[in-house]
Amino acid sequence: MALKLIIGNKNYSSWSLRPWIAMTVAGIPFEEQVIAFETEDFARIVPSLSRTAKVPILIDGDRVIWESLAILEYLAEKFPDAGLWPKDPAARAHARVVANEMHAGFQPLRNHLPVNFARRIIKRDLPAPVKGNVRHIEALWADCRARFGVKAARGGPFLFGAFGNADAMYAPVVSRFHTYSVDVAPMSRAYMDAVMALPAFKAWEAAAIAEPWLFAEDEVDWPVVHRADAHGSNT
Amino acid sequence: MSLTLVIGNKNYSSWSLRPWIAMKAAGIPFKEVLIPLYREGSAEEILKYSPAGKVPILHDGDNAIWDSLSILEYLAEKFPDAKLWPTDSAARALARSVSAEMHGGFQPLRQHCTMNLWLPVKARPQPPEVLANVQRIEAIWADCRRRYGKAGPFLFGSFGNADAMYAPVVARLYNYGLPVSPATRAYMDAVMATAAWREWHDAAMKETWVMQNNEPDWPLVRGIKVG
Repeated sequence: MALKLIIGNKNYSSWSLRPWIAMTVAGIPFEEQVIAFETEDFARIVPSLSRTAKVPILIDGDRVIWESLAILEYLAEKFPDAGLWPKDPAARAHARVVANEMHAGFQPLRNHLPVNFARRIIKRDLPAPVKGNVRHIEALWADCRARFGVKAARGGPFLFGAFGNADAMYAPVVSRFHTYSVDVAPMSRAYMDAVMALPAFKAWEAAAIAEPWLFAEDEVDWPVVHRADAHGSNT
Repeated sequence: MSLTLVIGNKNYSSWSLRPWIAMKAAGIPFKEVLIPLYREGSAEEILKYSPAGKVPILHDGDNAIWDSLSILEYLAEKFPDAKLWPTDSAARALARSVSAEMHGGFQPLRQHCTMNLWLPVKARPQPPEVLANVQRIEAIWADCRRRYGKAGPFLFGSFGNADAMYAPVVARLYNYGLPVSPATRAYMDAVMATAAWREWHDAAMKETWVMQNNEPDWPLVRGIKVG
C-alpha cells in the first residue's frame, strides 16, 4: 500500500511542492516520481493517469487523486495523526479558508513571480495587482498566526502552530517572496524563515537547483537566466 | 447556533449558488442574507459580514467561513448525516478531486459564459478553449456517474458537494446552449429538477438588478432592449 506521488520539475512546479512538503514534514512514507514538463515521458504518462494532464498526482493502490488541495484532504483523512489540519474545528475551518483562497486565487502574483528556486535572488518590480496580493497574503498570515498559530495545542512558528496543509499550500509563495526579494514585514519574514528552515524545504530546494531543465516561460528575464553564483552564473 | 449564509444576486452569483444548493438539498436550516453585488453600498454592506469582502460567507456562531469549497467542507464535517461527501473513501477522493478542479479551473468557460439564469436559452458561438472546458467537464461527469453514480441521477448517486460545485456549470451549459451529449443533458435535467434548484431559479427570475458585464446579448436583457 505504498503511496506514489507524481510531480513535475522541482525547480518550477509550485503545485507539486505542496503535497510533497506536507507528506515529507509529516513523515508519511511515499515513493516520488519526477516527470519533467515538456518531455515525452510527461506527454505519455501524465494524461494516462489523469485526464487533466497535470501534476501532482497521488496514487494509492487503484486510487488516483489529482489537484493539490484534494490530495491534501485525502492525506489528512488517511493519516489523522499527522495533524495536517488543526484539531480545533474553528482553526480547521479557517485553515481550509486560507488554503482554498490560495488554491483559486492570487493569479497576478502567480503569473508575475513564477516559482524558480535556482534563480539568483534579485528584486523584481511589482505591478499594483501583485502588490495587492502580497499585502493580502501578509495580512492573512498575520491573522492566522495571531488568532490560531500562537495559541495552538500543537505549537510552532507556522500558520496554525505546527506545520500543516495551510503551510503546504503557501510554501510556494514563501519561495516566490524569497526569490524575488519581495518587501515584507518582519513577521512575514519570520514565518518565511521558519518554512525555509525545514529540512523538507531545504531538500526540495537542493534537488530543484540540481535539475538541468530550463523553462523560458518561467524565467522572467529570458533570454537571460540568472543563477546563484555558487551554482554558476550564466548571466 | 443557527447558520447564516450571506450570498450575492441569485441570477448571477455562481459561487453563492454552491453552498446554498448544498444546504437546501441536504435540508440544513439556515438564514439567508442576500446582498446585490456591484451596486452603490454593496461593498460596505458585504464588509459588515465578510472581512475579506467576499461572498458567499457562512456564519456559525463565532466562525466565519468564506470560499465556497471551504464552506462545503465545513458543512460536511458539521452535518455528517447529510452525506455531502460520498461515504466510500475512494468515491470521496474522486469527489474532492473533481470539486477542486472546478474550484480552481475552467477559466475560459467562467469568463465567456458567466452564470445568468434569466438569459434566453440559445446557442452562442464560443471559442475553442470554452469547448475544450465543456469536453473535460462532460468527461468528468461521465466518469463519476459510471463509477459511483448508480444509486441516483447525480454524480455520486445522491446530491452532494460535487454536484453543488458543478451546479453553476449546469446553468452555464443550459443558458448558453452549449452542445452536450444526452447523458450530460440527463444529468443537467436532474440537477435543474431538484426542489432546491427550482427555488433558487424562481427567486433569481424575480430579481431586478442588471449587471451589464454579465449580459452577453447587451443591450438586450431577457430578450428586451434596455437603455
